[in-house]
Amino acid sequence: MNNSKQLRMTVYTSLFVAFIAIGAFIAIPVGPVPIVLQNMFVLLAAIILGPTWGLACVAIYLLIGLAGLPVFSGGGAGIGKLFGPTGGYLLGYLPAVFVTASISKGLGKKMSSDIIAMVIGSLIIYAAGVPWLKVVTSMTYEKALAVGMYPFLIGDILKIIAAAFIAKTLRPVIKL
Amino acid sequence: MANLTPFTYRQGQSILHLLDVRCKFFMICLVSMSMLSAHLFACFFYFLILLFFFKKSGLNFFATMTSIKYFILLLFFIFIARALTVKGDILFSFYGMTITEQGLTEGFVVAFKFFLVMLTGLVFSSTTQPSSVKSAVQWFLKPIPFVLEKRVAVMISLALGFMPIIASQAQKISDAQKARCGDLQSNPVKKIIHLVLPLLRKTFLSADSLVLAMESRCYSDDRIDPAFMSSGKEIYFLAGSVVLSLSLVCL
Amino acid sequence: MPKNIIDIKSICHTFSDGYVGIQNISVSISQGEFIILAGKNGSGKTTFLRHLNGLLLPDSGQIIVNGHDVSKHLIQTRKTVGMVFQDADTQIVGDTVFDEVAFGLENLKVKRQKINEKVSLILKDLNLFHLKNRSPFTLSGGEKRKLAIAGILVMNPELIMFDEPFSNLDHPGTIQVLSTIIDLNRSGHTIIIATHDVETIICEATRIIIMKDGRIKEDGNPLDIINRLESYGVREPCSSKLGLGIKPYG
Ligand SMILES: Nc1ncnc2c1ncn2[C@@H]1O[C@H](COP(=O)(O)OP(=O)(O)OP(=O)(O)O)[C@@H](O)[C@H]1O
Ligand SMILES: [Mg+2]
Repeated sequence: MNNSKQLRMTVYTSLFVAFIAIGAFIAIPVGPVPIVLQNMFVLLAAIILGPTWGLACVAIYLLIGLAGLPVFSGGGAGIGKLFGPTGGYLLGYLPAVFVTASISKGLGKKMSSDIIAMVIGSLIIYAAGVPWLKVVTSMTYEKALAVGMYPFLIGDILKIIAAAFIAKTLRPVIKL
Repeated sequence: MANLTPFTYRQGQSILHLLDVRCKFFMICLVSMSMLSAHLFACFFYFLILLFFFKKSGLNFFATMTSIKYFILLLFFIFIARALTVKGDILFSFYGMTITEQGLTEGFVVAFKFFLVMLTGLVFSSTTQPSSVKSAVQWFLKPIPFVLEKRVAVMISLALGFMPIIASQAQKISDAQKARCGDLQSNPVKKIIHLVLPLLRKTFLSADSLVLAMESRCYSDDRIDPAFMSSGKEIYFLAGSVVLSLSLVCL
Repeated sequence: MPKNIIDIKSICHTFSDGYVGIQNISVSISQGEFIILAGKNGSGKTTFLRHLNGLLLPDSGQIIVNGHDVSKHLIQTRKTVGMVFQDADTQIVGDTVFDEVAFGLENLKVKRQKINEKVSLILKDLNLFHLKNRSPFTLSGGEKRKLAIAGILVMNPELIMFDEPFSNLDHPGTIQVLSTIIDLNRSGHTIIIATHDVETIICEATRIIIMKDGRIKEDGNPLDIINRLESYGVREPCSSKLGLGIKPYG
C-alpha cells in the first residue's frame, strides 16, 4: 500500500512539473500586464505536494529546462536561459517552494496559513530574481525593481488569493 | 508548449541528430563554460562554426532569429544598459547620460556571448529527441547519491506526456467558458479560479487512472537502463570540442 | 475441459466512504472464453475488474489466478491478467509509440535486446509498426486504443480485460479495435469486456455476465439472456429486437 502511495505522489509531482512548464504559457489578460500563471503553480505545488515532493517538482522542472527541453518562458531552454537575465527567478523557485511548503505544513494547511506561506514564497522568488537581473544587466536597483518586480505585484496578490481558494477546494478531492 | 517553439525537436538525419546525446551534452557544457572567458574574436570564430551546423542540421537561421526576437530585444537592452553604466573614456554624452568606449565593447561582448550560448542550446534542443534527453539526464544523475535517477526519468516522461493534455484541456475549458460568456467576468481572481480549478480537477483524475495503469503494468523503480544510440563519430566530435574550447580560452 | 484461469470465491468490497462497490461475487473463468460484462453506469463493472489484477483487494472472499492467491502474488497476477483502461489518453507513459509498448517489459527488467524484438513483433502484429517513432498523443482514437492493447499484450498475458474499449471511437476505429480483440481471442487469449453497449460484440461472446448494484444477476449464454438485457438497463441489440437473433457488427 505504501508503494502505491509513493507511485501516486510520483505521478502527482510529474503533473505539477507539467503545470509549471505550461504555466509559463498560460496568460490571463487583466489590465496592462497579463497575469502569467507559472509562479502560482510553483506555490500551489508547494502547498499541495509538501516540502519534499515540492522541491523534487521544481528541481525536475529546472533540470529538464537545463537539459534543453523547451519548458522555460517564451519556449526557451538550456544554460543560456537558466543563467540569463531572468534566471534568478527560476532558481528562486527552489528555496521558495521549500519554504512555502514548510510554512504551510507547519501552520496546519489552513487557508490563512497558506496565504502567509505563499506571500513569503513570492518574496523569496523576487529576492533571488531582482538582484540577479540587476547584476546581469548592470541596471541600478531602482530600475531593476521597476522592471522586475513592481509591475507584477498586483497580479501576484490576485494569484495568491486564487491559489489559496484552489488549494482549499482541491485538497479533499485528491486526498493526500 | 502546445505549439512549436524554436526549441522544439525537429526530425532529421543530420550528424547532430545521430550523435550520442551524452556526447552532445558534454560538448555543450565544455563550450559554454569556456565561452565565459573567451575573447571576442574567438567568439566570432565559434559563431561561424555554429552557423555551419545550423545549415547542416537543416535549420533556417533567419526564421529562427525572427522566432527569438524578444530574446534578441532583451540582449539589446543589456547592451544599452552596459554601454550607459560602465565607466571609461567618454565617446559622447547627452541629457546627462554618457556612453563610453569600454561600455560599448563590454556590452557587445556580454550580449554576444549570451546569444551564442542560447544558440548552442537551440541547436541541441532542435536536434535531440525528448526521450534521449531524458535518458541522458538519467545517465548523468546515476553517480549522484540519494537521487533515484530511474524515477526521475519516468517523471520526466510523465511530465512531457501531461503537457499536451493540459494545454488542450486548458483550450477546451476556456472555449467552453467563452460559450457561456465567461469572458465578461471581470473579477480576475474568479477568472483564474474558473480556468485553473477545473483544469486541476480533471488532470488529477486522469493522473489517478494513470497510477492504476502503471500499477497494472508492474511499475517499479527498479527498471532496466535506457539504451543509447551512437553514430560512431562521437570521438571526433569530443576531440573537436576540446580543441575548440581550448582555443576559446587561450586565443 | 479447459482449465480455470480465475476462481473467485464470494468477494465483497466496500469503499472507504462506506459505499458498497461489489458484494458476494463468485465466478470461475476458464481459458479461451469471450465474456461480456454488462450493466448500467455504476453497477460495479470497473470495481469488479480491478479486483482481477489486484488493483483493488477484496474485504472478504478470495481470488485465485492460476492457482495463486492474488493478494500474495501481485506481480505474477499482473503478468497473467492484463487490463486495458477506459480512457486511452490517460494510460500513456512513453514518449514514443515504441517506448510506450516497452514500458511493461522495462519494469520486469527484461534484456534490452529481447525488449526490442518483442516490441517490434507486437507492433507489426497490430499493424502499428510504421508509427513506432510517433508521439502516442498524436495518434487517432483507434490507434491509441490499439497501442494500449499492445502495451498489455507485450507482457504476454493469458487473460485481457477491456473496460469500455469502444467508447469515444468512430465507426472505423470501432471496427479496428473489434477485429484486434477477435484476433486475440482466436489466438488463445481469454477476453473480458466491460460495457453497457453489447451490440458491437455480442456476436463474438461465449458468455454474458450481467451486474446490477454490485452483484451478478445473470450469467450464461448470450442467446438465453439477450431478451432480458433491458430489464438491467442494457440496450438490447437491434437485430435481436427485430427478431433476427444475433448479427455480427459492421
Ligand atoms: N473510490 C471510490 N470510492 C467510493 N465509491 C466509489 C469509488 N469508486 C467507485 N465508486 C462507486 O462504486 C460504484 C460502482 O462503480 P464502477 O465504476 O465499478 O461502475 P461501472 O459499472 O464501471 O460504471 P460505468 O459504466 O459508469 O463505468 C459507483 O456508484 C461509484 O460511484
Ligand atoms: Mg466503469
